[in-house]
Amino acid sequence: MAETHSLQDLQQPAVSSKVFVQRDYSSGTICRFQTKFPSELESRLDKQQFEETIQALNNLYAEAEKLGGKSYLEGCLACLTAYTIFLCMETHYEKVLKKIARYIKDQNEKIYAPRGLLLTDPIERGLRVVEVTIFEDRSIGSGR
Amino acid sequence: MPGFSGGGVGGGVGGPASAPPRPFRPSRYVPVSAATTFLVGSTTLFFCFTCPWLSEYFSSVIPIYNAVIFLFTLANFCMATFMDPGVFPRAEEDEDKEDDFRAPLYKTVEIKGIQVRMKWCSTCRFYRPPRCSHCSVCDNCVEDFDHHCPWVNNCIGRRNYRYFFLFLLSLTTHIIDVFGFGLVYVLHHRQQLDTPHAAVTMAVMCVAGLFFVPVAGLTGFHIVLVARGRTTNEQVTGKFRGGVNPFTNGCLRNISHVLCSSQAPRYMGRWRSQQAVEVQPPFLRPPLTEAQLEAKILDNGIQNDRHSTRSKSSLDQMESQSADAEPPPPPKPELRYPGLPRADTEESSLLTEAPPTPSMYKYRPPFNSPGRNHTALTHPNKMIRGESLDSPSPSILQSSRQPSYRSEPSSLDGATVVGGGVGVRRGGGERGEGPGGPGGTAGGVLGGMSGYSLTGRSYTSYPSSLVLSTGGSRSSSLRSAHTAHNPLTTLQSEGTTDTSYKSLANQTPRNGSLSYDSLLTPSESPEFESAAHELSPQKPRAPFPSATITGQPEVVSPSSPLQGYTSPFLSAQIAQQREGQLLQGSATFSSPHRAYLRAVSPPPSSGPPETQHLLQHNQDFSSSRAPRNPSSSSSSPGARSLEPPVSPPPRGLSLGKSLSYTGEAGPQHKPRPAGGGTVLGGGGVGGGQQAPQSTSRPVLANHTSSKPGGGVKKVTGVGGTTYEISV
Repeated sequence: MAETHSLQDLQQPAVSSKVFVQRDYSSGTICRFQTKFPSELESRLDKQQFEETIQALNNLYAEAEKLGGKSYLEGCLACLTAYTIFLCMETHYEKVLKKIARYIKDQNEKIYAPRGLLLTDPIERGLRVVEVTIFEDRSIGSGR
Repeated sequence: MPGFSGGGVGGGVGGPASAPPRPFRPSRYVPVSAATTFLVGSTTLFFCFTCPWLSEYFSSVIPIYNAVIFLFTLANFCMATFMDPGVFPRAEEDEDKEDDFRAPLYKTVEIKGIQVRMKWCSTCRFYRPPRCSHCSVCDNCVEDFDHHCPWVNNCIGRRNYRYFFLFLLSLTTHIIDVFGFGLVYVLHHRQQLDTPHAAVTMAVMCVAGLFFVPVAGLTGFHIVLVARGRTTNEQVTGKFRGGVNPFTNGCLRNISHVLCSSQAPRYMGRWRSQQAVEVQPPFLRPPLTEAQLEAKILDNGIQNDRHSTRSKSSLDQMESQSADAEPPPPPKPELRYPGLPRADTEESSLLTEAPPTPSMYKYRPPFNSPGRNHTALTHPNKMIRGESLDSPSPSILQSSRQPSYRSEPSSLDGATVVGGGVGVRRGGGERGEGPGGPGGTAGGVLGGMSGYSLTGRSYTSYPSSLVLSTGGSRSSSLRSAHTAHNPLTTLQSEGTTDTSYKSLANQTPRNGSLSYDSLLTPSESPEFESAAHELSPQKPRAPFPSATITGQPEVVSPSSPLQGYTSPFLSAQIAQQREGQLLQGSATFSSPHRAYLRAVSPPPSSGPPETQHLLQHNQDFSSSRAPRNPSSSSSSPGARSLEPPVSPPPRGLSLGKSLSYTGEAGPQHKPRPAGGGTVLGGGGVGGGQQAPQSTSRPVLANHTSSKPGGGVKKVTGVGGTTYEISV
């Protein structure tokens, strides 16, 4: 299929900068990220949108780390099977991590990519930061 | 239409983040091999020689029970040995783009009201999260680092602590069982002790008995640790001695967290998801507000304040979530341009102190110098790793933001108090003790533990949040009072040096670890520094009545919950309240203190020199009190002067900076942390009679002075303007 593309279309948008959303340690070492809106994103994204995303992530991580009956039973079962159960079963935390990965992908597709941003799953950084990549906006009149 | 795939940014499908290959060191495997040999060998012998008779004589439940316990022990041993303890992958390049020469070595974060310091790891290129430590044996940062156990040849961290703990419990049980049943066998075969079975049983009993003492000791030690919610690292370095552990949630919750929480995920060796999200312009943009447009126009690209701006933004970031209920601080000059672009990197948002610039060095409090020299002489290698505790302090003054005192004073406090403690600790040869692993020197654990207690490490610990919140200034003044007696040279041993930067840390990577072996050798300073004091915070100085003038803002704490810091507005209220209280309680003032209050009003022109002069006497605030009183100018007690720089004693008293710092809002100005802090304390204190104010200190907002008749209050605001408020 013959299609003509301008050179600009074919070029990938360059990464302008990266913003790192740090962990919020005010409640201890539980996994929480700061919901404060970084100033670099002010021109790209609504504050509320960002806070919602981070809050949702925080809730998911809280669910992963919850000390509940489920995690206790999982531990007991693991003990009884001399931990061989880990070879076949996925732990609760891992299940929630998958959920988080899906959520981030969903947010990227719906909200962030259209705005030239990209969220990186914090698990890739050891749950230390949420990395937001800001792409250079080459559209006319972007002013930034 | 081809679009940019996000996967490219993420590096595509990646394998695990790899650490550089390490040389093979067979000596590392000796202890674990010995432990395995003893465990498996002895138990096999037990099963072969002792158990047949036992199952015949008593029942076959005994060998089955022993087998179950042994398998449990072995499973936990294997998990503790082979499981990733929670290693952090190395940070990528783009996380650390900022200028290393400007980044402090430590960042402070507040956890449940307690200041915790995070240290820059030069190997892993990030600021270590709380409770994380870098193991030099494994050359990795480990989350919730407990220790490096040579007997399993692995770090014990967040992911495998549970298995290690259960291993200890089960091993203790197993040793007891083997020894007990062996004893039963021997007692029944007293006449046949020359048979090989009996001989082997006795040999196994000897091995069991030998290992029982250290293993049981270590087990007991870890039971206590689990109950208290501490790691071995924290216990042995005495981080929480006399203070409050911010990581504990109560005994029951601590235990359930160790035993019942879901298995933590590993960070290494994860497959990176290929992000198939296309990012392609044109991009949506939110509409700009009027303010933003105006800010863009005003923005002239101020660059030289970039770092301090960044730190402030990060401070706001840290504070905004916890300080929503507090009145907003006065607008800070550097934040007049919200549209100012700030190059953000990972650490910048963590910065709670502005990294010092060369121009700030001259603002450093003079008391740093002796300490620094002392440090240089005695602990040259520590200097590099020294915290930049005091170096950012001038910048804090410059930034003069409300939350700044939170991190800064605590770190300064840490410097002051820790210095004393650290000096002692380091001088005493740290890590000279420490629990040995199982099977270590006989009684090594107990010896280690007793050694630990005997060393008398006067290390700082986390003060109670209560102290910080309600009586923080009190404690700070207590701290300052006490630290005044410490040789101040040691106060700065943690390094108020210019060298305490990431850049230098990166050049000379020092990886601290806390393996039981490395406990014998000095290792790097622990990451934690805390605004701690060794005093009991519950005992304010007795002689002072409630309406004290000693610069202890606790007087007003009931009326104004300080919660660790005050805003400039609160400080105005404090000053007003103090004035009221002082007026009421003026009769209770002791004469020396009254003399203080008189000595308040040198003319404004002498303000700055007085400031410097006072700063130099910061250390001897208590001693400077006396000489100052008689020599001070004789303003009447009732005189209310606007200008005088703070009377030194109150300033010195609130040397503990945290609360006296309130509202260090203001532009670049000389006043030093202690000076500034004490001004407020002095202001509050002297508010009753005079309110020392300083026109040379525009940074100090809301110092009030009131006339004896209490008609008009004068408040110094930001920028040096003075307001009169009629009461």
